[in-house]
Amino acid sequence: MANNLLLTLSVRYWQEFQDTLSKVMDANIYIFDAQGNPFSQFSLPIELCQAINKGKAVINSTCLDFYRTTFNQLKDKELLTCPRGIKLCVYRLGNYMQHLGYMIVTLGPETTPFDREKEMILNAKAYNAYRTVNEVLSALLEKNLLGLQRLELNSIYEISRLMTSITELDKVLDLITNSLVIIYQADLCFVGLRIGDKIRIAQAKGESGHLLGGKEWALLHPVIERVFSQIEPSMLTADELRTLTGVSPLEVSSHSEIILYPLWTALGIVGLLGIVVPMSLGENGKRNLQIYANFAAVALANATLVSRLEEEAKTDFLTGFLNKRALGFTLVEELQRAATYGYPVSIMFIDLDDFKYYNDTFGHLAGDVVLQKVAEIIKSCIRVTDIACRYGGEEFVIILPGTDNDNALKVAKRILNSLENHPFPHRQITASIGVATLREDDTIDSLLRRSDEACYMAKKLGKNRVYNAT
Amino acid sequence: MGEVTKDVIVRYETLLKEMWSESAKYLGILSTNLLVERVIWELSQEYPAIQLLKYGPEGISCTQILTSVEKGFNDLEEMFMKFITRYVSILAKLLGHERAEEIRKKIITEFGGAF
Repeated sequence: MANNLLLTLSVRYWQEFQDTLSKVMDANIYIFDAQGNPFSQFSLPIELCQAINKGKAVINSTCLDFYRTTFNQLKDKELLTCPRGIKLCVYRLGNYMQHLGYMIVTLGPETTPFDREKEMILNAKAYNAYRTVNEVLSALLEKNLLGLQRLELNSIYEISRLMTSITELDKVLDLITNSLVIIYQADLCFVGLRIGDKIRIAQAKGESGHLLGGKEWALLHPVIERVFSQIEPSMLTADELRTLTGVSPLEVSSHSEIILYPLWTALGIVGLLGIVVPMSLGENGKRNLQIYANFAAVALANATLVSRLEEEAKTDFLTGFLNKRALGFTLVEELQRAATYGYPVSIMFIDLDDFKYYNDTFGHLAGDVVLQKVAEIIKSCIRVTDIACRYGGEEFVIILPGTDNDNALKVAKRILNSLENHPFPHRQITASIGVATLREDDTIDSLLRRSDEACYMAKKLGKNRVYNAT
Repeated sequence: MGEVTKDVIVRYETLLKEMWSESAKYLGILSTNLLVERVIWELSQEYPAIQLLKYGPEGISCTQILTSVEKGFNDLEEMFMKFITRYVSILAKLLGHERAEEIRKKIITEFGGAF
């Protein structure tokens, strides 16, 4: 992976090496990074330069402007005269794959008069210094690359382990995004999962990643369509990325490298992996990330499947409510939470009146339509924090966390009225509702039993009514 | 130098252990160790002693730095400070600035402004 080598170099140690080289060469040397910012200081005390810059580092704006203009136009090497009249030789550092920065070489303090002979001396010294510096930097770069590749490979290894060890979707998403931010210093990393004809951002990390979470992008959006039209990753510009919902408020530099990997398995599209990095990953980095993306796709596909199966196993197919099996686990959690935080919990047991007669007369399909409608009505009468469950055929249990007995009775009456007033096909539908509020001596079974008994009392007293458990 | 240096190492070890376990709560052990590995790698050229920092599923330890203290490492305090600064800056990207700041403040409180 390409990286700005100068960012990982210790300036202090580099300066020591540069100063020694400078003494041997009897020439002043200093380095700028790939962005044109000063990296090291002057190795020799050039009085004029030190006076202008008030020290050994280039800080004077005229000098900085001169260097940046020079770097922008520089091919490999140039002999120039700076605005203060000093002759200098500028070299571009790095190789064809990686641009590392710029090296400036000037002669020692006695630079005037600058004749042809001095120019030849400067050229020769600068060339020798360039070869030495570039070789040292290349060696360091190689060492850096090996270190980084080890990090990358470690992470790829861990992701591959995920396929057999972790099936929780949240953990898989966290591990993928965390690893990429850590390894590649990503400013933004996100994973979108395919939900029907959309990609929904399931996890986003980075300084403003939280703004992206939950955003949905249509598969037919031109950018997304392009991502999935090829196996290779798509390189985007910042402007292209900003056309996607939720990205516009994020700070994405136009110099960043933006890569979107389509995540596929044999079963089709799983989602996409996006990464925004401050510097180019290079061809090797992109290839490694492709391997990573392939593993991530399989891990995400597994985790998504397990998550869907778990969801289906606890959901009633007809109404979308929890099923009886899930009720037990949910009640345990809610009662523990209530005991920990000391808030009330009430539950309602709802039984539709004479529903067997409805089924027998109008058929089970008509009965199913009624059950779906009843579920919708119940849902519209409770809060999103309340938990609805289909207990049996026409029986429902509603858990009301944080609700005392008075308020639970109000909710029950609201459901009763809504059912009574809804124009169901064929005939009116009513319900009997038993309400019970958690007591100190209650267990899950006793609480459920009391609400069931209250529901039975409501039936016994004439149906279409609410009965409060004692 | 010995005793003073050892005190510095022990103080920073406590600090690093706290940082490691707080991070592991939010990131998980695997990501936390990857983060440690990344920062060690970044600083290893400037401070070779940082490579003696050991980490694993059990946490982070300065034992090897402590036992090698007679080698006369320079700038140990500077090394630990740079490690923490770099660590927290990446942590901010992973957890958001607010939570990273929470962790930083918690550490400052517990270590009486040492960091």
